[in-house]
Amino acid sequence: MSTLTAGEVVARMKANHGMAWSERSRRDTYKFGGPETVVKGIATAMFCSYQELEHAVAAGCNMIIPHEDTFWRDDDVVTTVSGDPGYAKKMDFLREHDMVIYRMHDNVHALGNRDFTYIGLARALGITQYETTTLHHFQLPETTLGEMAATFQKRLGDKALRVVGDPKMKMSRLQLGVGYATPNVNSPDVDVVVSGELQETDGALDDPEYVLDANTLGIAKGWIMLGHHISEEQGMLEMAAWIKGFVPEVPVQLVKVDEPFWVPK
Amino acid sequence: MHQISRRRFVALTAAGVAVAPLPVWGSAAVPPVTAQEIVDRIQKSIGGEWNNPKSVDGFKAGDPSAAVTGIVTTSLATLDVLAQAVKAGANMIITSEPTYFSKGDTPVPMVRRPGAGRPPVAGTPGANAAPAASATPPEPPPLVPGPPDAVFTGKSDFIKKNNLIVWRFSDHWNARTPNPFAQGLVDAMGWTKYANGDATQVNIPAMALSALATHAKTVLKSRGGMRVVGDPKLAVRKVALLPGTTPVEVAIKVLPGADVIVAGEVREWETVQYVRDTFDMGGKKALILVGRVVSEGPGMQACAQWLKTVVPEVKTTWMPVVDPYWRPTL
Repeated sequence: MSTLTAGEVVARMKANHGMAWSERSRRDTYKFGGPETVVKGIATAMFCSYQELEHAVAAGCNMIIPHEDTFWRDDDVVTTVSGDPGYAKKMDFLREHDMVIYRMHDNVHALGNRDFTYIGLARALGITQYETTTLHHFQLPETTLGEMAATFQKRLGDKALRVVGDPKMKMSRLQLGVGYATPNVNSPDVDVVVSGELQETDGALDDPEYVLDANTLGIAKGWIMLGHHISEEQGMLEMAAWIKGFVPEVPVQLVKVDEPFWVPK
Repeated sequence: MHQISRRRFVALTAAGVAVAPLPVWGSAAVPPVTAQEIVDRIQKSIGGEWNNPKSVDGFKAGDPSAAVTGIVTTSLATLDVLAQAVKAGANMIITSEPTYFSKGDTPVPMVRRPGAGRPPVAGTPGANAAPAASATPPEPPPLVPGPPDAVFTGKSDFIKKNNLIVWRFSDHWNARTPNPFAQGLVDAMGWTKYANGDATQVNIPAMALSALATHAKTVLKSRGGMRVVGDPKLAVRKVALLPGTTPVEVAIKVLPGADVIVAGEVREWETVQYVRDTFDMGGKKALILVGRVVSEGPGMQACAQWLKTVVPEVKTTWMPVVDPYWRPTL
């Protein structure tokens, strides 16, 4: 049996990163277990939900490398949840299966044009070949917002996708975002923004209201929110392939779960 | 609920209809009321301090000294809502959310520096959450006016041309007890008789989560903004109502005492995952998200009712906002 440790896996991720690795990230740290934990198998995951932990264990993996938080807060500070029964249950599960969690967030987004989340999402949306020389910008064959949204929904199986904008508006210039990193829809060189989520109002730019008013003025703009989970889970496949390239000793795989939402009829 | 067509909107903008009619004061027995006087009355009725510099409430457009011909309340003063107000002869709009597409609510877009995008937010790339090496983090670059934007300009021009006055009423309306946004939702859902002082917690006769979601969708005329976490067959009785936006700390505090949270919006990487995990670990809990703007509609309907008592001489109407979201069906 391999004696590979989590610390060795993290060291290899740093060595193979190729960009400035942020040592000071509060996000990219151990959330459970530590560098000394012996690794039987590695699972990349979008979140570190209970379901993803169960899937990982079922697949023989005890090291989880999730993109997002484990204890329901971006900073994983547990003061607000330490009394929650769910927290105790999750901790018990982690202990029982001798797991180790190392989050990879900031150092994924620091990869620039190699950022797994953007590459994976473009692949899943089927738009990779349309990327322009501007990072995360795509020039698609002209279509309508309605057709575009329907196509993306079919490709992702995204039941809870949400769209703002007149479905008949013509669209071709797309800017991609992931997770909560949703670019402003008012860029003059963008017709439609496709991303994960963003607050509706009271932000730096309230895109839904902007799109509604743009459409009223006859200006073609559209906004497609795929959901945070679906928008970034795709790229965890790329992250698994990357890790596999320098960790041959143990199996490495993506553990997927369904999007968290269902929608009423 | 109807939207003004683009053609109709253009007609409103271009033609002489544009200027709101002057108030008809009958035999001049009733003196005109200015927007500022209406705000003064609202402030007096609400009470408390109105000098919090962090509050978003206040005039966002128009002349506070202008006579008010009619009031429209809404959760979002879209161009569509503004055009309907003009059509109805109202020139004062009271909104719970921003008019100019940001918390800053300025009629021209503001950027951190010319050409800069959104400032980093927690949970995004760029917002590298490392603590600064020194004790004092560097000041963000100041906000400066960005390049002209046709949508900002179009909206600002429409407001000017029609002499509209926009006043934001969010923090102070939200601070009332019982919470008017929650109470509005309770009333809209037909649960008035179950409310017991605190409108944010209501015990209803048990129903399946799926039935509750469908009921909410119908009542709120939701198009595509609604999303649900949890077992559709779960019997729910204790409902927590959290309209607007809710941080995860509040959700964590509220969920143990409720079967289901009905919220406007939350962060998906925090509250949605918390409820999902709770459910997956055997907790009989659920979350219904209806959308932030939609969730505040009934609260602004209640605001219109309340204003009738504060400004009885001016006609006040609630304008619902059409759910901004739609979705194709798989």
